[in-house]
Amino acid sequence: MSSTPNWLERSLYPLLVLTTAGMVGALWLIFLHAPEEKVMGAVQKLFYFHVPAAIMTYAAVAVLLIGSIAYLWTRDVRWDNLSIAATECGLFFCGMVLITGPIWGRPAWGVWWTWEARLTTTLVLWILLAAAILVRSYADNRELGARLASVLGILAAIDIYIIRKAVEWFRGMHPTVFKPGAERDVDPAIGQAFGATSLVFILLFLLLLAVTYREAQLRDRAERLTQALGR
Amino acid sequence: MSQGSPAPAATAVIRARGLEKQYGLLRALEPLDLAVGDGESLAIFGPNGAGKTTLMRMLSLALRPSGGTLELSGQDARRQARRLRGAIGVISHRLHLYARLTALENLLFFGRMYGVRDPEPRAESLLAELGLAHRAEDPMGSFSRGMQQRLALARCLIHDPRLVFLDEPFTGLDPVAADLLRGILERLREERRTLVITTHNLPLGLELSDRWMILGGGRKLDEGTSDVAPDAFEAHYRSMVGGRP
Amino acid sequence: MKAPANGAGFVTTARLVAAKDLRLEWRTLDSLAGMLLFALIVLVVYSFAFDGAMNRELGARFLIPGILWTVVTFSGLISFSRAFQNETADDTLTALRLAPVDRGAIYTGKLLAVLVKLAALETVTVPLTALFFSFDLAPHAGPLVLVLVLHTVGLAVLGTLTGAIAARVGRGEALTAILLLPAAAPLLISAVETTGAVLGGEPLASIRAWLLGSLGFAMLFFCVAVLTFDYVLEE
Repeated sequence: MSSTPNWLERSLYPLLVLTTAGMVGALWLIFLHAPEEKVMGAVQKLFYFHVPAAIMTYAAVAVLLIGSIAYLWTRDVRWDNLSIAATECGLFFCGMVLITGPIWGRPAWGVWWTWEARLTTTLVLWILLAAAILVRSYADNRELGARLASVLGILAAIDIYIIRKAVEWFRGMHPTVFKPGAERDVDPAIGQAFGATSLVFILLFLLLLAVTYREAQLRDRAERLTQALGR
Repeated sequence: MSQGSPAPAATAVIRARGLEKQYGLLRALEPLDLAVGDGESLAIFGPNGAGKTTLMRMLSLALRPSGGTLELSGQDARRQARRLRGAIGVISHRLHLYARLTALENLLFFGRMYGVRDPEPRAESLLAELGLAHRAEDPMGSFSRGMQQRLALARCLIHDPRLVFLDEPFTGLDPVAADLLRGILERLREERRTLVITTHNLPLGLELSDRWMILGGGRKLDEGTSDVAPDAFEAHYRSMVGGRP
Repeated sequence: MKAPANGAGFVTTARLVAAKDLRLEWRTLDSLAGMLLFALIVLVVYSFAFDGAMNRELGARFLIPGILWTVVTFSGLISFSRAFQNETADDTLTALRLAPVDRGAIYTGKLLAVLVKLAALETVTVPLTALFFSFDLAPHAGPLVLVLVLHTVGLAVLGTLTGAIAARVGRGEALTAILLLPAAAPLLISAVETTGAVLGGEPLASIRAWLLGSLGFAMLFFCVAVLTFDYVLEE
C-alpha cells in the first residue's frame, strides 16, 4: 500500500473551489438566464439536475466496473478503494435522480411514482449499490469484502446495461430529451444552462470521487495504526 | 539451539520465499522463508494466533498468499494450483466430511473429485486399514470423535497424496485414537511422504518430525532439527514464546 | 515425487457435486420441505388477498403470473441460500477448495442441484396455483413449461451466485433476496409478461423476443458466474 499520494490531497482544494464557482455560475444560468419553459413551467428547472445526475450515475457504474475487474486481477487495494469511491458516488447521484424524478413526475405525469421502466432501473441500481456496501460491511475481513463486492460490481454493471436495453422493449413513458437528429425547438439559453450544469456535475463527480477515495485511504491508515498500537 | 536452515536445497518439495498473508490490513503472517525436502517431516510449534493455521492453509493451497513465492515440487503454486492440489492431503480439527453421507459415500465423493481411478477398492481398503470397515454404510455423523478423525484421515489419503498437512490432528482425540493416529503418521513417514504437522504437544511433534520451526506473533522465531531432548526443547520453546503454552 | 493425479473434469465435477447435494437433500429434505411449506403458505395468503370475485373479474391471466412467480422466487430463495450453507457444518467448503477441480464446475454442480429442487417445487406449486385460483392449465401446458423452464434457469443462475455470496458473509435468505431480486428484475418482468401471454392463449411467436432475451440473460450470467466463482469461493 502506498503512502499518502500528495497530488490527490493537493488537487482537492482547487477542485472544490472550481466546483463551487461552477455551481454558482450554473445556478445563475438556470434560474436567471434560461427562460421558463412554456408547457412545464418552473418544474422544468429540475431537469437541469435530474439529467446530469443520471449521466453521472452511469459514469460511476463505469468506474465501478473498471475498479472491480482491476481489483480481482491485481488484488491491489487501491483499485478496491476506487470501487468504494465509485459505489458511494453512484449511490449519491442515483439518490438524486430518484428524488428529483418524482418531484418532476407529479406535475408531468400526475403521479409521484410509476413503475415505468427507467425509473425501475434507477431504483434497482440504487439497491444493488447499497447491497454492495452491505456485503462489504458483513464480511469478516477487508479482503473478502473487497472480493465479493467486486463480483457484485461486475454483476451490477452488466445488469444495468441489460435493463437499459430492456427499456427499449418496454417503450416506457419516460421523456427523451434532445433526441439525436430531431428538430430542436428550444431556447438556446436552455441548451447553454444544460451544458454548463453538465460540466459542473462532471466536476462534482470528480470531487466526490477524490474525497471518497481519500476517505477510504485514510480509513485504511487509521485501521493500520490502530493495529500497530494493539500489538 | 538455532541451527539455521538445514533443508536440502535441490530436493525441496516445499519452497517458500517471503511468503506472507495479510487479510486486507491485518497482517497474519510476516514474510517467511521455508524449505521442506522430499520425504521430510516438519513440525510447526507456536502459541494460538501465531500464524500456524494461516501458514498451513497457504502451503496446502487453500489460501492465497498476499506476497512472496511458493513452489511445490519445483512448480509455481499460484500458476499450477489446480494440478498441485491433486498431490496434497489435508487434515485439520475440522472434519471436512459430510455428516449425512456414509463413510463410504464420503470417501467415494472425494475420491472421484480427485480423479482416483478405482475409488471403490481404494476406499474399502482404507476403511479396513483404519478399522472402519464394519461402519462403512453408516453416516459419518453417527461416529465417535475418534472414528470421525480416522475417516478424515482416510479422506485425506484417498488420492495417495505425496504431501500431507496435519493441522492439530490430535485435538479432541482420546488416548487410544491418538495412539492409532500416531501409528499411521509413522507409517506415512516410512512411506517417505512429506509431512507438515502443527501441534501443541511438543514431545509428540518432535517424535514425528525431522525438523521443527517455532512461530510466534506471525513470524518465524526459530528452527532446527528434531534430534533434541524434549525437556531441553520445551525450555527453549518457552523462552522463545514467552512462557505461553 | 510422481505426477499428481488430475482431478475430475468440469462435467464430472459438476455431476458429482450435484449428485452429492441431491443425495443430502433426499436424506434431510433440508431445503425442499421449507420451500414447499413456504410456497403453500404464500399461496394461502394470496387467496386471502385476492378472493374469487377479484379473480373472476380480472381474469386469471392477469393474476396468476404474478402469484406464480412471486411464489417461485421467494421459495427459491431458500434453495439458493442453502446451496452453500450446507457446506459450513464441518467446513466441507474447505474440502471443496482443496480439490483439484475447476471452481466454476463446483458452481455448476450447485446450480444443477438447485434446478432439480426448483423443478420439484414448480411441479407441485404450479398445478396448486391453478387449483386455488380455479384456472385450467391443461390447454396451455406445453408453452407454459417452456416459459417456466427458461425463466427458472435464469433465476437459478443468478440465485446460486448471490446465495453463495450471502453464505460467504454468513448471511441467509434476507441478503440473498437483497442481492438477487434487483439483479433479476428484467428476468422477473419477462417471466410475468410471457406467462401472462401464454395463459391468454397467445402464440409463442408473439413472445419470441422475450424468450430469447431471457435465454441470453441466463447464458450471459452463467458465464459471469463460472468466471468469477473462483473469487467467491476463495478463502
